[in-house]
Amino acid sequence: MTTPNQTTILLVDDEEGIRRVLSVALSDMGYRVLTAENGREGLALFKAERPPIVITDIKMPDIDGVDLLRMIKEIDPDTEVVMITGHGDMDTAIQSFQREASDFIIKPIHVDNLEASLRRVERRILAREKLREYTHSLESLLHRKTKEYAGLERLLQSRGAEPEAGDIIHRFQRLFDDLPCHVAIIDEDLVLTATNRKFRRDFGDREGEVCYRVLKQADSPCPECPVLAAFKTGESQEGETEIKTPAGDAHPVLVWTSPVRTTGGGDPTHVLALYTDMAQINRVQDHLRSLGLMVGSISHSIKGMLTGLDGGMYLLDSGLRKGDDGRVNEGLCLVKEMVGRIRRMVLDVLLFSKDRGLKKAETSVCEFAEGAATGIRPLAAEHGIDFLLECPEDAGKFEVDAALLRTAVVNVLENAVDACIEEKGREFHRIVFRVRGDDKEVVFEVEDDGVGMDEETREKMTALFFSSKERKGTGLGLYITNRTVQEHGGTVAADSEPGRGTVFTIRIPRIAGTPKEASGQTGAPGGGAS
Amino acid sequence: MAKKIMVIDDEQDIVKYMTVLFEDHGYEVISATDGSEALKILDDSVPDLITLDLQMDKVWGPQFYRNMSKNPALKDIPVIVVSGVARPELAIKKAAAVVSKPFDPEELIRIVREHIGE
Repeated sequence: MTTPNQTTILLVDDEEGIRRVLSVALSDMGYRVLTAENGREGLALFKAERPPIVITDIKMPDIDGVDLLRMIKEIDPDTEVVMITGHGDMDTAIQSFQREASDFIIKPIHVDNLEASLRRVERRILAREKLREYTHSLESLLHRKTKEYAGLERLLQSRGAEPEAGDIIHRFQRLFDDLPCHVAIIDEDLVLTATNRKFRRDFGDREGEVCYRVLKQADSPCPECPVLAAFKTGESQEGETEIKTPAGDAHPVLVWTSPVRTTGGGDPTHVLALYTDMAQINRVQDHLRSLGLMVGSISHSIKGMLTGLDGGMYLLDSGLRKGDDGRVNEGLCLVKEMVGRIRRMVLDVLLFSKDRGLKKAETSVCEFAEGAATGIRPLAAEHGIDFLLECPEDAGKFEVDAALLRTAVVNVLENAVDACIEEKGREFHRIVFRVRGDDKEVVFEVEDDGVGMDEETREKMTALFFSSKERKGTGLGLYITNRTVQEHGGTVAADSEPGRGTVFTIRIPRIAGTPKEASGQTGAPGGGAS
Repeated sequence: MAKKIMVIDDEQDIVKYMTVLFEDHGYEVISATDGSEALKILDDSVPDLITLDLQMDKVWGPQFYRNMSKNPALKDIPVIVVSGVARPELAIKKAAAVVSKPFDPEELIRIVREHIGE
């Protein structure tokens, strides 16, 4: 049954069972479902039907999910692609996010998760449509008002008077100012010629300066500048980027640029640029946070369990070959034990990946610091790094979600260890984890004598997926730390230079405040960004 | 006479696994679950090769290696690091080989044979 308003979803999976079950579930949710059993068929169907949402398995023979994602994004970057992934495909899942997959669902697929994921995707589509509407109406308004203004000017001139268009300009200015996003008019040299109120509130009065310096604190234009593209093509452009306020807060935004022609046709003289904060993107990122925590904290234990499982199977096999019942029994016990451990861990992970708010409780600062230190001591010890915790006995208490914040602090400590391992000039390394504070806030300092960071790394380290650790880093660690600390109303800052180690400073208010929106330093941690 | 291998790992299950694996391939095996226990055993019994885990509670892998290297009678024994930590190759630079957990038993046997023969 098809109704005109139904959203179409293309489902690509090589397993017939999954296609059948998901088709039924998706139809029940009100979608029109198209199915394909491999990447090639999926791509053909996509080209023919252009569905706004695609759900695809990652592992498929022929064209796999990641390739399909890339091809679809090339045809239509606005398509929302949700990846289906097994537990072993974390690397591929992360790769998919870098190629702008919208979300992912872990197998075995639960209908609840699927529904939540599709809700996020639809919110994203809606946000984009809203932005488009805004821009179009602003564009036509601008056009109309320019005409009106020109007419009025002519009228006034014919009366021999100077234009008195104050009222119209005032009304236009008000609309411009009231838009709930950052708006700027930019000329061909990329100089800001006008900005709206929200823009001025977050960036200051910066008219006359070039946009990339104001919005990105960069020294040169962005490689794929949508403003320049609008000048060049004479058409509206859109893209996603990140802008950074002088306070250091980074906002992922959707940019829409539109050429402005002040005199009847001809080449555009200015470009109108709208930047809309992607709160919807943040929802996807929240989901990623749990993924990041998982990848970081469980990989070591997974390796241990797999080794144990291998051991159990080897004992079983060896016992059977030799007719040694004792050994067969030992092998069986070991396999059972490992399977149990793996099952418990998977359940923990599933539980943990669910969205959760902060669960704040009064916590002893010293106990908290000791807990975080315990998490890192074995790793530091393993690499022969001295680890020192300095916590004054009267450090008192604070109100935090200890489990979440602990992970955030451990991320910074782990980065310090990595920075020390990376630094090969010194024979011994040392990390000092220092706690201080006053009656208002608690300050954690992590000082290492590792490789240190250059300015670029320092700036990018909290960005999602930025990693200076080549293949080892997931690019999630410091992003998560930054988010968690901000959720606690605190700040993260880093002081570092290449070859001179790094000091990370995390400040947490003692009494749970509201998250800081646009104040305080937000830099962030790490001897390298994880 | 059979060649002797010492297995050092803090997980009893993994010690058991590696012991059986090496015995099945004709080696004699002694074992310890941390570095300090291993050093004590080494006073009486010198193996031809050592497999060493890194993350252990008492005396961890690198510390064990530093101590062992100071002893002229032990310093030339080949050490194979067997660990699940990220980038274990960085921990002990002079290790004869580094094997990541989970490991392929045949691969481990091949590496052992490379160093001490059958």
